[in-house]
Amino acid sequence: MTEFLQLLISGLMEGGLYALLAASIVLVYKSTQVASLAHGQILAFGAIFLYIFLATLHLPLVIALILAFAATALMGLLIERTTLRPLIGQPLFSSFLVTFAVFMLFDGIFQLIVKGGTLTIPHFLPAGTLHAGALMVPAGQLCSFIAALILFGILGLMFRYTKVGLGLRASAENHQLARSTGISVKQIFSIIWVISALVACVAGIATANVTDIYYTLPQMGIKGLIVALFGGLESIPGALIGGIILGILENLSAGYLDPVVGGGLKEVAAYIMLLLILLIKPYGLFGLVRIERI
Amino acid sequence: MRPCGIFDERYTQDMAILRTKQHWALLVGALILLYLFPLFGSYYLVSFLNNLFITIIVVLGLQIVSGYCGQISFGQPAFMAVGGYASAILTLKAGVSFWLALPLSGLIAGVFGIIGGAPSLRIKGFYLAIATIAIHFVTMWLILHLKITGATQGLNPMPPEIFGFPLDTDERMYYLIATVMLIMTFGARNLVRSKVGRAFVAIRDNDLAAEVMGMNLYHYKLLAFFISCFFAGIAGSLYGHLIMVVHPEQYTLTHALWYVGMIIIGGMGSIPGTFFGVIFVRVLDELVLFASPFLSEAFPWLGASPAAALGLSAFGLVLIVFLVFEPRGLAHRWEIFKASYRLYPFAY
Repeated sequence: MTEFLQLLISGLMEGGLYALLAASIVLVYKSTQVASLAHGQILAFGAIFLYIFLATLHLPLVIALILAFAATALMGLLIERTTLRPLIGQPLFSSFLVTFAVFMLFDGIFQLIVKGGTLTIPHFLPAGTLHAGALMVPAGQLCSFIAALILFGILGLMFRYTKVGLGLRASAENHQLARSTGISVKQIFSIIWVISALVACVAGIATANVTDIYYTLPQMGIKGLIVALFGGLESIPGALIGGIILGILENLSAGYLDPVVGGGLKEVAAYIMLLLILLIKPYGLFGLVRIERI
Repeated sequence: MRPCGIFDERYTQDMAILRTKQHWALLVGALILLYLFPLFGSYYLVSFLNNLFITIIVVLGLQIVSGYCGQISFGQPAFMAVGGYASAILTLKAGVSFWLALPLSGLIAGVFGIIGGAPSLRIKGFYLAIATIAIHFVTMWLILHLKITGATQGLNPMPPEIFGFPLDTDERMYYLIATVMLIMTFGARNLVRSKVGRAFVAIRDNDLAAEVMGMNLYHYKLLAFFISCFFAGIAGSLYGHLIMVVHPEQYTLTHALWYVGMIIIGGMGSIPGTFFGVIFVRVLDELVLFASPFLSEAFPWLGASPAAALGLSAFGLVLIVFLVFEPRGLAHRWEIFKASYRLYPFAY
């Protein structure tokens, strides 16, 4: 029982980070209809920027964090302006593929920086482990999980109560109608990319704080896409639930099934889960079911 | 490619691939050049061409399922691995001759492709693309964890023999690979203008409309996956016997991205476009390989061996440029050139 609860808790902590990345993908998809793989790179570069400012330039933590956020936001903005805006009006699939191209472009740069090894960010989240009975919770992971939950709350409030959020919701609903009420859809696209880049950056910094910057970090982007598909591409609560389910499932399968099948199941649990859910519910748990016309 | 003033009078003329005497002369010349190449080409060029031809076979398969049938698949390297392993297991453990194992490995990969293509019955677009990524990872995980595939060790297939004469060097394998490549190209070129090929195009353009017109969507989608994986299996088998190793490391998701990128750069829905795309990307990759030692000398922070990473970045950049400025690929430029050649010396 203790082992089960322990796996559940570590799954929850990992799932929070998946959920954060998935939320950044869902944000972009909701308003621009583009499912983006590039967020895996934004996440990785968020961590890289922090590494540069904190470990190489030895800036104070707060300034380094602010600079890393600014750099990541700029990166998101650049991706949107140079690759996705020229493709407005083209088939949506081109936009999807261009995010793959962006992924590869940045993956090359990422590999040049990491050089197949690991970069360690000076850990700034509290170290040590919290004990609750026989259960152990690493304090750093708990902090980033709470940060993820707070960020989800902020996103929800922003969508609900601010003027920008209103514009985002309107343009997600219908580009034409949003434009006729005086909302600049292009501006909305830029804003949404900046916001989602910031969310991905938080996820990246939190991940790197737990696992360091290893050379396959950008492939988290695929996990993020899977969680987003699992929860439904239009649904932010779906991203949260999907992320947590994936995290728990990965840890449970690693804990209980790995001795049976011989290890490494954690890597493919997500993919098996995705294949099953796509066969049962093709649009994810909370996704909109699209009705097509000829 | 036909000059001004030649007109088609019969249906067979209109459908012919080779229309004029010049075409035949070009074809024969190209074939002679192709088969005599190892006599004067360097070892480096021959092994480069071997890899190029194998890539062409894989990408032809991808072109059929993605370019013609519109089902984007990132599973091609996984099915190539299935073909490679099938061929290695058949020749090493079952004692089957390579010449039987080659088509069999294509068929086995094709059957796996039907299983892998099953999600296309329910989903499409990028949902399907992500599902094929999932299929890639699950397949590679299975290969890594099964006993029969040699797990992390991989397998070492022997070079094929023909009448006791082993094809154990790159020059000798070249003839086999070039021949298979020609047969597969011929097959693909004819498939896409047959009833099946037209059904694929109809499904790509609008699957609902195609279904309403009475096409069996499931049948044709699965057929497209079968054919594309057959190509991948054949290529995997050839590749395994060429380098005498099949190992999970050879078939990564990055390869899938490269293959999809090749058909975008070459042009979706065009067999000549496949050739343009593969040649363009491979040559670009070789250029980066040549340039990287100089770059790493000029910019020491790039590290000792930046070739792989630089190649990835260069490829991503080229792909972005093509998607933004020429989404119809090099094949579209080729069509424009052909049209203007046919009209020359008139303007229209």
